[in-house]
Amino acid sequence: MAKLLNKLPFKMILAFLLGGILLITFANHDDFLYQKPIFKVETAKKISTDKSTDSFQNTDYTYQQKLTGHIINGQYKGKKISINNSYTMSRAMDHKYYPGQKAFIILHKSGGLNATIKDYKRDVPIIFLMYLAIALLCIFLKFSGITAVGSIIINTILFMLAIYLDGFNNGNNVLLIFSALAAVFSAITLLVIIGHNRQMYVTLASTIICTFISIILSLIVFKFTHEKGIFYESMQYVTQPPRPLFLASTIIGSLGAVMDESTDIISSLFALKMERPQISKKQIFLSGRNIGKTIMGPLINVLFFIFMGETLSMTLLFLKNGNSWGYSFSMNMSLGMVQSLISGIGIVLAIPVASALTSLFAKESQK
Amino acid sequence: MSAIIVLGIVLFVLMLLVGGKQGLQSFLSLILNFGFLFFSIVLIAFHFPPIIVTIITGVIVLALTIFLSGTDDNTSGLAFLSSILVLFILVLLIVPMEHWAQVQGFGLEDSDDLEGLSILIGINFVKIEIATAILSTLGAIAEATMAIASGLDEIKEQHSEIKPSRLLFDGIYVGKQIIGTTLNTLFFGLFGGSLSLFVWFHSLNYSFGDILNDKVFDAQLIVILFSLIGVILTIPITSLVIAEKWRKDNN
Repeated sequence: MAKLLNKLPFKMILAFLLGGILLITFANHDDFLYQKPIFKVETAKKISTDKSTDSFQNTDYTYQQKLTGHIINGQYKGKKISINNSYTMSRAMDHKYYPGQKAFIILHKSGGLNATIKDYKRDVPIIFLMYLAIALLCIFLKFSGITAVGSIIINTILFMLAIYLDGFNNGNNVLLIFSALAAVFSAITLLVIIGHNRQMYVTLASTIICTFISIILSLIVFKFTHEKGIFYESMQYVTQPPRPLFLASTIIGSLGAVMDESTDIISSLFALKMERPQISKKQIFLSGRNIGKTIMGPLINVLFFIFMGETLSMTLLFLKNGNSWGYSFSMNMSLGMVQSLISGIGIVLAIPVASALTSLFAKESQK
Repeated sequence: MSAIIVLGIVLFVLMLLVGGKQGLQSFLSLILNFGFLFFSIVLIAFHFPPIIVTIITGVIVLALTIFLSGTDDNTSGLAFLSSILVLFILVLLIVPMEHWAQVQGFGLEDSDDLEGLSILIGINFVKIEIATAILSTLGAIAEATMAIASGLDEIKEQHSEIKPSRLLFDGIYVGKQIIGTTLNTLFFGLFGGSLSLFVWFHSLNYSFGDILNDKVFDAQLIVILFSLIGVILTIPITSLVIAEKWRKDNN
């Protein structure tokens, strides 16, 4: 234990701690950067309580609170106002305010200065958590942490560009745009992680081939089942035709996991090939299969829990609104389930494809 | 037949062909995980305490995923122990962060979907969001602990005289290799999951500040950040657990 403590980079931790304090202090005072008026709560007083029961026998409470405080940015900076806020026990779409918290407000100028609360200002906790993740990455992993963060930043910029491009075309070519993005994403990410060499090209080929085949396979299944049990109308936040948008988000969502599996298999196989150059093609293929089959299960689970987790609130709401288990599942979880299954197919396919590609192409490097 | 069932059969056949018995076990763990996930939602709907239900589900899911992915029992046991430690540290981070960030329930973007639904259901959505966050990180924790534990197992087999401190160092090294790709799995998952939301943001001209404070996006983002932090914590914790066990065995 003592040895471990000595190995920790104390200077780096101190630097990150200091940087963190500065960043959070700044984020706490970033109100001047916002166009929308921000209100800082100074006092909060509960003024009434209402009990309500809906038609499904759910009992809830609605509270009214009177908030006073100042506007802290924009042209009305320094003005003192009081606002009534209502919140519920379940807090599904509202928030109970405490002194010191900040909120975005909408100003009404008719007859004096009135305002209503729009939403809680939550940038500070989000920035804090992002910083914590980046700091931990850099402290534990040093240089690899920094390159990993770099690749995420590059990919985020590309993602934004693709969204912009898609909006520009009114969503007509959404599938084409995001398929192209998927290829560029993989190429850049693998360049950053592996570097420019044969191994990177083999991994890239495996990633793209497997993602592509898994989508084709799924489209075939969709065709023969007439997409029974897939409720595109239950897709959230759609401003464009949902089907191509769904396929595009499935391609991007499964890409990382397929890349993960391919990278793990191919890098181990290249290492094996380097240690034992005489190893046969068949032996490489079999080793690849052995490595791949232990990681496929956990990897499918990673995406499964991410895709399914986000449906929890809405599924619960459906259940509490008197819907059956089956209907609640179909309307909320079926799309996440389809996405998990399609990415699962891509992940499993990566095992034979990555192994076969390596056994075919790793050999030529020896000549 | 429903498309979900046919896709499930395709996945099952592929897993069986590629992984044999291990494939069968992994598929079984996927089915069981879904069962436990859905069962915990039903329990929460019956007003069981959400966070406790989720932590118990979490421990079960970690056990299922790790023990059914089919390495030897000794390694799986240590991996399981490490994953539980990581889970508990994460819960200690998730609970205050969810109270601070207030991303529970639904945002303004959900209004259309909420039409005709009563949202006053008498269950605190902050707790539901905590449950969501804990459940979403399980897959990533299980995957990372398995990867490090089996990597170290391989090393122990090849150099049976390796020193515990060296093993710890190797664990961090293995971790560095997996973190880059795991990061991709998580962030591409986020990109894919929030794609339609971003199209929405773009068509309604959200500013950077609007997105940074958007409840729906922030809820998805912090789940990914929790998973990421979980994976990072897994690296030293799993290495430490395995190195300590190795030290004990050698003495």
